[in-house]
Amino acid sequence: MVHVYNCHPFSSQQIVQVEQEPGLVCCGGGALFVVATGGCKVEAYSVEKEGCPLICRFATMGTVKSIQHSKIGDYLVTIEEKNSATYLRIYTNWRYQAEEKARVGVRLLGHLLRGASVRGGVQMEIIEIPLSERPVAVACCSVTGDLLVGCENTLVLFTLRRQNQQSLNQSQQILQSTWPNTQQSSSQSQGQTSSSNQNVSILDFERSVILHLPKIKPKRVALCGGYVAVQTELEVLVLKLDESSEPKTAEESSDTNKDHLEDQADFLLLPRHQELLGDRAKDCDIAVTIEKTGLEDRGQYTLSYILFRRFTPDFFQGCSVEETQLHSLQLYPLFTSTQSASLEEPACVFCFFSLPNAGYLYSLKGGVELLSVYQYPEKVLEAVLTDYLLHVITKNALQCFTVRCAAVTARIEDPYIDTTMKACPPCSLEVCALRMQLFIGLRSVCVYGRHVILLSTADTDTPEETERTTQRRGLELKEHTMLTGIFLAVGIDPATTPALESLLSRPFLSRKWTMSSPKETSTAGHGWNLYVVDTVSPLTLYQEMVEYSQRYAESNPQAQSLRHLLSEAHLLLRASLLQTSGQQQHSEGDPAVSLQTDTDTAVQTDSQELEEALRQNCAQLGDCFSRSGQKDCHLALPYYRMSGLPVTEVMARNRPVPSSPHSYGPGFLFYLKHYLFEETEQCLSQEAADEVIDIFSQSEPSQLVSVCASPPMVNVSPARTMQILQHLEDTAGVSVPLTITMATMMLLLDDLPRYTQMMERHAEMLLVYGFIEESRLLLHGGGGGQHAHIRPTALTRQLAKSQPGLLVAAMVALHENNKVQLEQADQIFKELGCENCLQVDFWEAMLMASSQEAVIQELLFRVASVYIDRLANSEPPPTPSRRRSLKSAEDLINSCIHYGALYPWLTVLSPAQTTSSQHQEALHKLQSLLCGPSLSVGSVVPLLERLSEETLWGFSLHLLCSTRRGQYDSSIEKLLDRCPQAIIAYANHQLQDKNMVLWWQKLLPELCNRTRAASDNSILLAALKETLVVVAMETSPTEFLELIPDDGTASYFLPHLLTCSQKHLLA
Amino acid sequence: MTSKSALLKVILLGDGGVGKSSLMNRYVTNKFDSHLFHTIGVEFLNKELEVDGHHVTLQIWDTAGQERFRSLRTPFYRGSDCCLLTFSVDDGQSFHNLSNWKKEFTYYADVKDPDNFPFVVLGNKLDVPERQVSGEDARQWCRENGGHPYFETSAKDATNVASAFEEAVRRILALDDRADHLIHTNTVDLQRKTPPDPSCC
Repeated sequence: MVHVYNCHPFSSQQIVQVEQEPGLVCCGGGALFVVATGGCKVEAYSVEKEGCPLICRFATMGTVKSIQHSKIGDYLVTIEEKNSATYLRIYTNWRYQAEEKARVGVRLLGHLLRGASVRGGVQMEIIEIPLSERPVAVACCSVTGDLLVGCENTLVLFTLRRQNQQSLNQSQQILQSTWPNTQQSSSQSQGQTSSSNQNVSILDFERSVILHLPKIKPKRVALCGGYVAVQTELEVLVLKLDESSEPKTAEESSDTNKDHLEDQADFLLLPRHQELLGDRAKDCDIAVTIEKTGLEDRGQYTLSYILFRRFTPDFFQGCSVEETQLHSLQLYPLFTSTQSASLEEPACVFCFFSLPNAGYLYSLKGGVELLSVYQYPEKVLEAVLTDYLLHVITKNALQCFTVRCAAVTARIEDPYIDTTMKACPPCSLEVCALRMQLFIGLRSVCVYGRHVILLSTADTDTPEETERTTQRRGLELKEHTMLTGIFLAVGIDPATTPALESLLSRPFLSRKWTMSSPKETSTAGHGWNLYVVDTVSPLTLYQEMVEYSQRYAESNPQAQSLRHLLSEAHLLLRASLLQTSGQQQHSEGDPAVSLQTDTDTAVQTDSQELEEALRQNCAQLGDCFSRSGQKDCHLALPYYRMSGLPVTEVMARNRPVPSSPHSYGPGFLFYLKHYLFEETEQCLSQEAADEVIDIFSQSEPSQLVSVCASPPMVNVSPARTMQILQHLEDTAGVSVPLTITMATMMLLLDDLPRYTQMMERHAEMLLVYGFIEESRLLLHGGGGGQHAHIRPTALTRQLAKSQPGLLVAAMVALHENNKVQLEQADQIFKELGCENCLQVDFWEAMLMASSQEAVIQELLFRVASVYIDRLANSEPPPTPSRRRSLKSAEDLINSCIHYGALYPWLTVLSPAQTTSSQHQEALHKLQSLLCGPSLSVGSVVPLLERLSEETLWGFSLHLLCSTRRGQYDSSIEKLLDRCPQAIIAYANHQLQDKNMVLWWQKLLPELCNRTRAASDNSILLAALKETLVVVAMETSPTEFLELIPDDGTASYFLPHLLTCSQKHLLA
Repeated sequence: MTSKSALLKVILLGDGGVGKSSLMNRYVTNKFDSHLFHTIGVEFLNKELEVDGHHVTLQIWDTAGQERFRSLRTPFYRGSDCCLLTFSVDDGQSFHNLSNWKKEFTYYADVKDPDNFPFVVLGNKLDVPERQVSGEDARQWCRENGGHPYFETSAKDATNVASAFEEAVRRILALDDRADHLIHTNTVDLQRKTPPDPSCC
């Protein structure tokens, strides 16, 4: 189905004051070029100025059969005939022909002469391009200015070459020095001053490649950024020509084609309807060979098939076989707003071609794809694709259809456009007809910017012409009948649609249709007219479409048409946003635009307006999808986001009318849920938050817990919410998160008893599970990753006071379930003001629970430094308020592998409780860590420097460290110095296995020396005795003998030697 | 003026400096400049006029007479409806070269029936007192070479200029009455090898 709207894309028309009947018309560079019927003269009119004044007039060298303008290079290319011969000619510098009597230079392709520039003035020049075959069709590339010429069986590509200004001046100087008489003033530099010379570059072309297509007869050709399209009567072939250094030749592909053809030659094949996309297009039976003719470019050209489409005459009904002919082939580039059009190749290239009753639009880049098929209501003569509209003419109407190019470009510009953040109507959105404007006897159409140029010749219907000028009313009736017919043709009965009926009843040309150049004499005087019909700005058209859509919105907001119209309006804005950014870039290159001043500021305000309109449109599309059914309802979210509307505004827009039965749409709920889950920093007012609660309690009660836990909802009225939650519990049953949510409401109500009562309904373990299920009960923020600000909830603060163990357990559980990062947990405890207590409890608990190695090392270091800190600052009396740790040293040693059992010698070393219990606790925890397997001792050594060795407990820590680091010799010495009574316990525990030798290599000599110095020291003597026992057990008699000091008393050592010998004998 | 035959291509040939550009300027703009540049390559101007009741657009092609510009001018001989062979009455050499110019034109314009092609001979610079070529010599040459009309002109004081061009038009129109196409032309063929032409000096 083709939607038909009756918008007003055309604002006004001017009639170009042409004296002779126009034969051919083309436009470009701000100008309209008119060739009189059968004539040899081109007249250029400015389409951008009021009344389309004549710019200049110049003679051609033969009768013009075809004319095209190239934006790049601002040249005209013609196919001309003179005396039965056909010529291809380029007209450059035509703007300098304002004075018709100026001389025109003529040169052959490649024979670039300085002739024009030598004289100081700029001269119009004609470049004649010799061809071995008769040219049939020409096309200019709008990106490069290259020229493609279609001949009988070949396509010839000419590359545009520009001589820049500097080399031009040089050559000018050379010539001046060659010819002395050029010094003299000349009357021939007439017309143009040298200042206009500045932005002129001299053009030439190079024949770079010839494509041979022996099997087809081109009727039209198109060229755009390496894409070459050729159209015959019923076929379209699109090729991509790439310049590359690879030696791959086109012969390969053509060879395979030949084989393929030979296979087919045995059968008589009637052409059938075919559509071959991408690589498959090479299976078409059209062989193409490349002949390279360029001199300069060294690279090879490679050819790939992009698209092939063949139609058969009988395929289409409604048109006779003779009439079934393709027309209006066009390649159309689009640049994204981030591209600079002058440097890059276009992001998108589209191919359009048309049959009398249907037009086809393909997207060529990034995978060939049929974008849209335009089903025309009546036979179309010509069609022109523009950025945001397709204009077609029938015999009696100018029609304009919407296009999907912007939807394709938007997706290429932003690959993430179809997400929850952004959206754009799909490329496959059905196209529609925006307007059917009646004209009489239309012959041809061309478009420049917002100007649609129409040529009408009413020679066949002269009576109708006179009727038109006299009987205005009759025409309106005729329009009505005709349009009704069109509606019926596309399956709409206006009688059943009141809106359409009322539209049809209005006079079409009444509102926005003004004749700005009402020269009735010229219209009535002859049977032809040349119109410049201006289209309204896309913004104006957008506004009308929005206005239009309101009528649908009022009658049936669910209607597809409303959504379709808004989507059309959306694409219109996107297209013009692309266009305005493009204009900024193009304004440098385009001679017509560069003349305008302050274009850029105008473009800027334009794009601001457009962006504002786009936001409005997104809001309306959001409304549309928020109310729609399940399918596509998720689009409400990205559209509302792009609209920039605050959530309260979106809620207001979705508030159901009191009388209406329907409630909140799924799209709206989807949006609201996303909003609430997304950890926004913005808080809702109590009123808005209560409304959110109502919305969900009405539409999706199961979401209430997470809704209540959402940060923006902190201002919700607790009593009201409590009632709703209570009702939920009554109907849906008890759940832990729900209970916790209710407890939170009690907390907000300052009802501590009922809060406690709630919290006691479940075991702590279950509560922990509840928190894992809904972490936002404890934590707000932090959704945006590690660095996002995270903060505790009221419930968290309460738990820190009343149930610290539960809070710690919950935090550990959240961490282990990846709901909170360590740094975020730190932030929470910092905000709770429990940095040195509950946070340490959390770390200790984490050490017990966690299995993440990296986290464990970090935590071990942290707790070690906390313990050291506590020991260093233990002098002030502990405040009574300071609570005990959740886990004692004993608990940790028993339940955490990172806390080792205290070495036995430590108990000998540590005296009885001389300090506070907290000090003792810290000491034991630190000792236990140093005795454990996990702490890296090296890392804490620098911290231990803070603790003096003077106290015995301090000494014990240093000794532990040096022992753990293997410094046994010095440890033994220090221990003997400070606490010899612990030496045997120490040696028994530490000097084992490979360290056993230290008994006799270090301990024994040390003890001997010390007892020698203080022979009455019983502690040392006892130690010596114990040592000798061990040494006697572990050494051989000879070794033992060696160890005995020379000055020792034999009787003292003899028993040990005896033991040693006996043991040895036994062994 | 909508008829295709209304555009008549007239080409001015002759040695460098005989006054081809001045003749064209005098005829089209009615101006004269004694310090005109050398013509480089090929240029043309259009002039609309009425001859014997026929409205025509005369497309006057001015060519560079100097030998070094030959390759630039010869491709544009094709399609000419009339050739104005020009010499200067104060330059005998330019007169002697007329036959070379005629040959060059006939060859490159690919004239199928050179005997009936309209040539008009112009002896320019009549205003210069020191004549080297007599009117009789010139008329004799015209008689012997196919009976071309001869005009003695002065671009400087506008003598006979308009009459010469009008005569060219009459010759063309006269031919048109007899046959549709006297010049058989094709598209310009780049592949074709041009043999060295000895006729020009």
